[in-house]
Amino acid sequence: MITNYLKIAWRNLIKNKTFSIINIFGLAIGLASFMLIALYVVDEKSYDKFHVNAENIYRINSNIKFGGNHMQMAVSSDAMGAALKADYPEVLEYVRFYNSSGSKLIKKDNEFINEAKVAHADSTIFDVFTFPAIEGEAKNALNEPNTVVITETAAKKYFGTTAALGKILEIKDRNNTVYTVTAVIEDMPRNSHFHFDFLFSMDNVDYGWGNFVSHNFHTYLLLNPGTDHRQFEKNFVQYIDKYVLPQAQQFMDVASMEEFESAGNKLEYSLMPITDIHLHSDLLVEMGVNGNIQYVYIFSAIAIFILLIGCVNFMNLSTARSANRAREVGIRKVLGTEKKSLIIQFLAESVFLVFISLTLAIVISYASIAYFNDIAGKDLVLIDLMNPGILLTLFILPFLVGGLAGTYPAFFLSSFQPISVLKGKINQGFKKSHLRSGLVVFQFATSIILIISTIVVFLQLDFIQNKKIGFNKDQVLIIQGTRVLETNADVFKDEVAKMNGVKSASFAGFLPVSNSSRTDNTFSTEPVMTDKNALSMQIWNIDYNYIPTLGMELLEGRNFSPDYGSDSSAVIINETTAKLIGEENLIGRKIYKNDGNPGAFTPVTIIGIVKNFNFESLRQNVGPLSFQLGYNKSAAAFKIDASDASDLISNIENKWKAMAPGMPFSYDFLDESFDQMYRAEQRIGKVAMSFAILAILIACLGLFGLATYMAEQRTKEIGVRKVLGATVPSIVSLLSLDFIKLVLIAAIIAFPLSWWAMNSWLEEFAYRINIGWWVFMIAGLSAILIALATVSYQAIKAAIANPVKSLRTE
Amino acid sequence: MIKISNLEKIYRTEEVETVALNKLNIEVKEGEFVAIMGPSGCGKSTLLNILGLLDDPDAGSYLFNGIEVAHFNERKRAELRKHNIGFVFQSFNLIDELTVYENVELPLIYTGVKAADRKSRVEYVLDKMQIMHRRKHYPQQLSGGQQQRVAVARAVVNQPKLILADEPTGNLDSSNGNEVMQLLTDLNEQGTTIIMVTHSEHDAKFSHRIIRMLDGQTVMENFLA
Ligand SMILES: Nc1ncnc2c1ncn2[C@@H]1O[C@H](COP(=O)(O)OP(=O)(O)OP(=O)(O)O)[C@@H](O)[C@H]1O
Ligand SMILES: [Mg+2]
Repeated sequence: MITNYLKIAWRNLIKNKTFSIINIFGLAIGLASFMLIALYVVDEKSYDKFHVNAENIYRINSNIKFGGNHMQMAVSSDAMGAALKADYPEVLEYVRFYNSSGSKLIKKDNEFINEAKVAHADSTIFDVFTFPAIEGEAKNALNEPNTVVITETAAKKYFGTTAALGKILEIKDRNNTVYTVTAVIEDMPRNSHFHFDFLFSMDNVDYGWGNFVSHNFHTYLLLNPGTDHRQFEKNFVQYIDKYVLPQAQQFMDVASMEEFESAGNKLEYSLMPITDIHLHSDLLVEMGVNGNIQYVYIFSAIAIFILLIGCVNFMNLSTARSANRAREVGIRKVLGTEKKSLIIQFLAESVFLVFISLTLAIVISYASIAYFNDIAGKDLVLIDLMNPGILLTLFILPFLVGGLAGTYPAFFLSSFQPISVLKGKINQGFKKSHLRSGLVVFQFATSIILIISTIVVFLQLDFIQNKKIGFNKDQVLIIQGTRVLETNADVFKDEVAKMNGVKSASFAGFLPVSNSSRTDNTFSTEPVMTDKNALSMQIWNIDYNYIPTLGMELLEGRNFSPDYGSDSSAVIINETTAKLIGEENLIGRKIYKNDGNPGAFTPVTIIGIVKNFNFESLRQNVGPLSFQLGYNKSAAAFKIDASDASDLISNIENKWKAMAPGMPFSYDFLDESFDQMYRAEQRIGKVAMSFAILAILIACLGLFGLATYMAEQRTKEIGVRKVLGATVPSIVSLLSLDFIKLVLIAAIIAFPLSWWAMNSWLEEFAYRINIGWWVFMIAGLSAILIALATVSYQAIKAAIANPVKSLRTE
Repeated sequence: MIKISNLEKIYRTEEVETVALNKLNIEVKEGEFVAIMGPSGCGKSTLLNILGLLDDPDAGSYLFNGIEVAHFNERKRAELRKHNIGFVFQSFNLIDELTVYENVELPLIYTGVKAADRKSRVEYVLDKMQIMHRRKHYPQQLSGGQQQRVAVARAVVNQPKLILADEPTGNLDSSNGNEVMQLLTDLNEQGTTIIMVTHSEHDAKFSHRIIRMLDGQTVMENFLA
C-alpha cells in the first residue's frame, strides 16, 4: 500500500515539474540555512561546558569608577584569590592567569618564534579546569618555578613529538629564562573562552605581590557545589573593607568606602559563571574576543524566519496546487475511493516532498559550510548536526511541515461532495485566499527587514571606517617586536626612517587600536590626593615623533621637543582629561602623578592638549588619556608614502634580519588593525546580506509558483477580457498588481519593525549613523522590483496567449 | 458588411492535420440575422472566431466593411474588434470575480469611455435586459438564463454593428432560450447585424437565413421569409 502511495506521489511530482522543483528547492534552502545556523548557535552555547567543574567555576569581575574613569574589567588583584580562599570555606580553590606581558619569543632551533598563546598560571589550574594530560601528570606540573606545561600542538611544533617531558624551552626575555616541560596536555577545546599553548609557572612572574589595589590577574574561583554565587558576592563588601581599603588609604586621603562612594566613585566585584563568559562578557582585558549573545539571538531569529519562509512556500504552493486536483479527487470519490485513503495519499505526498527537500538541504549545507564558516568566523563541521536537539527538529520537521501543507487540501478536498468538485465550484475558494496573501506578506516583510538590516549594518561600518577618528590611520606601517633589537632599536628606527618612501618614524608601543598595550595611572589635581581630586587615566609613553607620525592634532600648547630640557616632567593630555579638570588655561598647570608607591606624587606640567582621538572601538566614548615622554620600544611606527609598500617592506625586513638574526619579523598596517576591531560587525553584515539574498530568493520562488498558479487559474478571465478588447499591458498590470499590493503591505509592516531593530543595534555605538528614510525607500523599491520581475514573466506569458484557446477549454 | 472568399483554416498538431475551413465563401449584409448550422466539428466555431477577429485565417480574403482584415496583426484586430463586434458564448464566459454591473461595464472601460458615460450606458442596457435589480450580484448567484442576459447586455453595451453568438441557447432550457432569442431578434430589428451558430432548428427560425456547413464548407443556404 505504502509503495502505491509513493508511486502516485512520485508521478505527481514528475507531472508538475516546475511546482515540484520550486517546492523542494525553496524548502531545501530554508532547511539548509536552518541547519547551518543551528550548528552555529549550538556551538556558541557550548562554550566552557567541557570542564568537569563548569557549573562551579566563576571568574571575578571588577567594576571600578574612579577619577573620571569607569572600568569594568575581567581582571582582579593578585592577592584576592588567596584572601577569599582563606576567609570563606565556600571557596574550594582559586587559579590566576597572568598574561599582560603579551606574547613571548620562544627559541626553536636557531630562531625565535613569537608565540601569542602564552600565560603564567597557578599550579591549581588543573584542579579547577579540565585539561587532560597526555604526557606527565598535570596536577603538580606547575608547582616549581621554571616549569611549563604545553599543548600537543606546541609539543609537535617545537619537538616534533608529544614525548616532550623534561625538554627545555628557552625564552627571549630580560633573563633569557629557561623552562622545563613538565606535562603535555591535550589542545584546549575550540569552545573554550581562552586558548593557551604554553602555561608557564606563576613563580616566574616578576610582580609586586600582595597588592590589593592593582588589577592585573584573571582570577577564577572554584566554589563548593550548591553555593549561590549571587549570595556569595555579598561577602565582597567585607573583603573590600578588610583588604582593599587599608591599602588604598596609603595612597589617598579617604576615611571609608561610604566617603569614597559619595564622591561618585565605585568599587565592586562580581562573580561570572564561566559558562556565561563567552556570550555575556564584553569587559576590558578579556582573555580573547568573545561572542555576543545578541548575535546568537539575531542568528536564531534569521534561521527560524528563513525556515518559515521556506515552509510557507511549501504550504502555499501545495494548497494552491491541490485546487487543480479537485477534479481528480471528485472522480476518485465517484469511483468509490475511501476518504481515509485520500487523506493518506495527500499527506504521504506532502511528507515525501519534504523528505526530498531534507536530503537536498543536507547536500546544500555540505556544499556551503565552508563559506558559512568563513563569514561566521567558525570551524563548524556538519557531523555536529548529530546533536539530539537538532536531530529531533530535523526529524519532526518533515512531518510537521508536510503534515500542515498536506492536511488542508487533504481534509478539505476529500470531504467535498464529489458532484460539486466535478462542477468546479471548489476552485472559487482557492483562488483568493486571505491566508495565502497573509503568508506572502509575511515572506516579503521578513525579506525587506533583512534587506534594511544589511544596508544599515554596512552604512554603519562605512561610517566607522571613514569617521574622523582624530588620527590618520592610512599608510602607517607598524613593525612589531622591536624590543628584541635592544640597544640597536634606535639605529634600526633611524635607518628605516632614511629609506625611500618613509616620511616619519616613531616608537609606538601604545597604539590607538585594541590589542595594543595599555597602562592606567592615578593622578591628582592637587599635591595630596583625595577621592574628589583623583584623576584616573591612561598614560602612554611616546617619543618626539609619535604625534606627527600618527597625524594627531594639538589643540593647544606644543608637542614634546628635544629643545626643551624639562620635557621629561611634562605631560600632554587629551580633550576629555581637560574637561575633567574643568579649568581654563591649562597649559603650564601642574598635576600630580602617582608612581606606584603610597603617598609618592610627582608634579608634572601640562604642555599640550591633543584633540580627542578614538583609541578604543567606536562603541565607546573617548576616555581620559595622557602622553608622557618615554620610550616603549615594543613596536615602531612609520608613516610611509608608497603606492606599493612591498619593496619597502622587504628592504625593512632585510635590515631587520641583519640586525636581529633569528628574531621573527612581523608587521601590520594601522588601518587594517583598526578594521579588525569591527570584525564582528563585518560578520553580521555579511551574514545579514547572505541570508537576505536567500530570503528574497525563496520568497521569489514562492511568488513565481503562485503567479504561475494564478495565471493558470485566471486563463478564462484573461481570455474574456482580451475578447472584450483588453491590451497586453493592461492584462500584465492586472495580474501583477495583486502581488505588488501584497509586497507594499509587507513593506509597511517591515519599516517600523526594522527601524526599531536597527536602532537598538546602533545604540551600542557611541558613534553611529541615523537611519535615513532613503534606506527604507531602497529596500521597499527593490523588493517591489524583484517581485515584479518574478511575476511579470508569468503575467506576460498569460497576456499574450491567444484567447481562443483559453475559451475553448471551457 | 462581411465578405469572405476562399477562406482556409488548418489546425496542425503533432500527428494530424485538420482542415477546419476549406475554401469557404460567405457574404453577410448589414442588418441581416444569419444562423449557421452543421454537425459537430464542421468548423462553425472556427468560422465565428475568424469573423470575430479572434483568430486569423491561413489563406483567403476577409473583407470587413470593405477593408481587407485577413492579415491584420493582433493589435489592429483588437482595435477593430472592440469597437465593432460583440460576442455571446454558449458558456456565457462572465468573469466570476466581477459583479453583473462590472461585467457589463468592462467593454466600455477597454474602449476608453468616460466613467460618467459608462454608468448611464450600463444602466440603460441592464434595464433593457431586465436585470437591473441584479446588478450587484455575482454570476454564480444567477440562473443560466439571467447569466446569458448579462452576457448579451455585455455584448451590446458598446453598440456594436455586429454580434456573433456561438450557441447562445446551448446551456439554457427552452423558455430561457426563447427569451434570449427574443432579445437577439429585438436587437436585429434595431439594426444590429447578427451571426449565430446553433444546433437548434427552432432557434434558427428566428433568423432570416440559414447557412449549412459540412467539413469546413457551406453546403446550402435557405432563406426564411
Ligand atoms: N486549436 C485546435 N487545434 C486542433 N484542432 C482544432 C482546434 N480547434 C478546432 N479544431 C478542429 O477543427 C475542427 C472544427 O472545429 P470547430 O470547433 O470549429 O467545430 P464546431 O463546428 O464548432 O463544432 P461544435 O458544433 O462541436 O462546436 C474540429 O475537427 C476540431 O477538432
Ligand atoms: Mg463550436
